[in-house]
Amino acid sequence: MNAATDLSFATPNLHGQLAQLSQEQLDRLDFGVIGFDGETNVCKYNQTESDAAGLTAPRVLGQPLFTNVAPCLNNFMVAQRFEDAQDDSAALDDTIDYVLTLRMRPVKVKLRLLAAPGTGERYVLVQRKL
Amino acid sequence: MSSDAHAQLAAEHEALIQFLYLAPVGLVQTGIDGEIVMINPISAQLLMPLSRDGCLTNLFTALEDVAPELRHLCAHFTRPNGMICDGLHIHLNSGAPAARTRAPHVLSLSLMKLDGARLMAVLSDVSEQVRRERQLRQSDAWLNALLTSITDYALVGLDRQGRVSDWNATIGRVTGFTPEVVGQPYSVFYPGDATTLEQVQDRLREADANGWSLDEGPRLRADGSQFLGSTMISPIPDLDPDSIAEGETAYCLVLRDVSGQRELIDTRRKSAFSDHLTGVANRRAFFEAAELELTRNRRTPRPTALILFDADHFKQINDRHGHPAGDQVLCQLGKALSNTFRQVDVVARVGGEEFAVLLPSSTLAGARTVAERLRELVAAEPVMCDGVPVSVTISAGIAAVDAGEHLDLDTLIKRADRALYAAKANGRNRVECWSGDHDAA
Repeated sequence: MNAATDLSFATPNLHGQLAQLSQEQLDRLDFGVIGFDGETNVCKYNQTESDAAGLTAPRVLGQPLFTNVAPCLNNFMVAQRFEDAQDDSAALDDTIDYVLTLRMRPVKVKLRLLAAPGTGERYVLVQRKL
Repeated sequence: MSSDAHAQLAAEHEALIQFLYLAPVGLVQTGIDGEIVMINPISAQLLMPLSRDGCLTNLFTALEDVAPELRHLCAHFTRPNGMICDGLHIHLNSGAPAARTRAPHVLSLSLMKLDGARLMAVLSDVSEQVRRERQLRQSDAWLNALLTSITDYALVGLDRQGRVSDWNATIGRVTGFTPEVVGQPYSVFYPGDATTLEQVQDRLREADANGWSLDEGPRLRADGSQFLGSTMISPIPDLDPDSIAEGETAYCLVLRDVSGQRELIDTRRKSAFSDHLTGVANRRAFFEAAELELTRNRRTPRPTALILFDADHFKQINDRHGHPAGDQVLCQLGKALSNTFRQVDVVARVGGEEFAVLLPSSTLAGARTVAERLRELVAAEPVMCDGVPVSVTISAGIAAVDAGEHLDLDTLIKRADRALYAAKANGRNRVECWSGDHDAA
């Protein structure tokens, strides 16, 4: 395993490092990765997330995240944070407790919200709580 | 199974999952006690901001702060299956448009009992429909006032200031007032504590702005007896307001005795605007009334006070004496509140054991005096529950808008809430007023 895939959910300065990873490397991470562009369309979706949600990447890629992929995040706790960061051209790196409805079961997770000014790509990372 | 068939099944399963993920309404299946078994994303979108503990383990717990009656509704639903509530409106906040938020204002909840062990819930954000509905209701009220079979009405002319400008036989017939009523403000038809001087002017300004102003409530006859009346004020059309001489008729007031329809009106009111348990106003009625009062307050500056009351150690009362006793305590509190405050004040149950009272044209000091009186009264008289006296105390937090100050409802509520928090922190059974420094807390 190379250095890139040693990344964990809590690794500092993760935004820049994620952008460097190949699809294969993303798939090996033990946390879910959803990347989306400036228009909120999903552009990265790794295997861990796909397995947890029960959706394959082709169903998700290119779709608007907050309406067609993860409407559960479309509130002030998540979507609003990204919007505010974009409006203010500010960086966002925050981890919050949340409940996702993976395969319609309520699942406690930690979400890490990542955005960096100047780059279009933003991420929601998902770590299941044990 | 062949691998083709298996792949086919997997694809169908995935499509079905995605169908549920993307359904634009919230779907939840719970146990009979509200424990969540299955839940789709829109439910999480709507419920997560409300959940006090950040969990989605129990639907009733997640909605506890905004729909405290759910547990009760389900517990008292005795049929083996069927609709427990259909499109129940849950009011989350005042609905005042706040910048940069996407918080819904009203949720709709339908709850279906499948059998003795399972419930299904449908949740949706109906903020926009409710806004439209409110406008429609206004037009309905207007049509209703014109078209319903009017048995009798008084037709009263008012001058620019709202004083009765003329006497006629209809006034005498409906209210018993003689020609001497001329020159008196039209509040003469309202019981003393059912309106304020400012509201008398508000209705005239509303009539100027909208063409009419309508309100329904207790009215007064000359002999002091009361009846349920509906009042509509409209400006006399095609009159230049500036050319009307002092004392000349500028508005027309139609006063109808609607006592005959009282039952109908009461039922309509009760289902939509009352708390099922205590009979006082519910959150919806409170937010509507408070929003209206603050809007008027901006147009015609005057003080407005808000008191939040909370029963102290209510959980212990429930634990020690049982939920029926807790319910009885809440009913008793509702009654004490209604008896203590004026008719013009809006008394509402806004949470499990939390009540709010909006006091139009009242200062912080004025509100404090009444709140203090109620606090003493409640502390002095235990509630009898099945022959057992249960001691109850309440804490209160008060905030007010000063005349000319522009404050939105959410801020006013937040301030009263801070004061309530201070009352709790300072030992309960006390009344605290908001002072600027609570903001820092």
